[in-house]
Amino acid sequence: MIIRVILLILIALVGYYGFVRRRRSPVDIVVIMALVGTAAFCVIDPEATNAIAHAVGVGRGADLVTYLVEVALLFIVLHYHARLDDLRSKVTVLARELALLRADLPRRDGSDPT
Amino acid sequence: MVPAYREGAAIGAVVAELVAAGWDVVVVDDGSPDDTAAVAHAAGARVVRHAVNLGQGAALQTGIDFALARGAGCIVTFDADGQHGVEDVPALIAAVDAGADIALGSRFLAPGGAAGAGIGRRLLLRAAVRASNLLAGGTFTDAHCGLRAFSAAAAPALRIAQDRMAHASELLRNVCRHGLRFVEVPVVVRYTAYSRRKGQRGLDALRIVFDHFFHAGGDRKEGRTHG
Repeated sequence: MIIRVILLILIALVGYYGFVRRRRSPVDIVVIMALVGTAAFCVIDPEATNAIAHAVGVGRGADLVTYLVEVALLFIVLHYHARLDDLRSKVTVLARELALLRADLPRRDGSDPT
Repeated sequence: MVPAYREGAAIGAVVAELVAAGWDVVVVDDGSPDDTAAVAHAAGARVVRHAVNLGQGAALQTGIDFALARGAGCIVTFDADGQHGVEDVPALIAAVDAGADIALGSRFLAPGGAAGAGIGRRLLLRAAVRASNLLAGGTFTDAHCGLRAFSAAAAPALRIAQDRMAHASELLRNVCRHGLRFVEVPVVVRYTAYSRRKGQRGLDALRIVFDHFFHAGGDRKEGRTHG
């Protein structure tokens, strides 16, 4: 099936990208390889996911994968939201410190009101 | 203390009016791309400038920090778009001098205080007051008036962590949470074509509610380390 070839190529590219980006940390590489391996396994052997799905009470393997991906995406969104919010508050503190610091400095040419 | 973003057209007159009334004026330019800072400076204000745009809540907090560092006894917040009247300031300061921790301007207490506001805006503001009271646990008549005065002693309790527009409700919540003594003072808000254009629109309310719930407030945030 052509879809399998396409998916495997895409998964391989993702794996390569993750490998190149995170090569400094062995833990990251292990996690990425595990995720990529699982994804590839699901593509190569859909019957296995079907069996797991039946075992936990889901009709089809593809449905089970969809549910898991939904939960994972939700987690990722929340995680990055918290990270962004944290960064935002840090940027605020830094910009405020900079603004107050500049206000304390003597004007360099007497005309610059910043 | 006047937070300002892209107010080059209006800030000069506002600052000049405040300076003429004898107040010490601090303008916090929230990273405006226009000449807000230069105009405010030329009009006689001390200018603190954010290098990047952070939002009105952040600008207010920066102004509070600046004023406290210079030994201010009472801090008045004043909008930059010319919607407030200088003549309302003494009543707010008098209320603080009389023992209130914070004096909040309320356009709904003054006869004609919200004159010039369309019916849609008035309904939106009323709804916002209700929502804000619900969240803050207070009984304020106006939640989002930019004209307020508070004592230096009360300022730390008001600490604003909401960078954008949800800071108004946050401020009221802090008033309630810390049991600050507050009074509401009738003020007149002048709705001009300029201030209406610059003001918040109905849809912004959704974003404010979103900010309120999904951006962590100060008490939780401070001292927290993030993994």
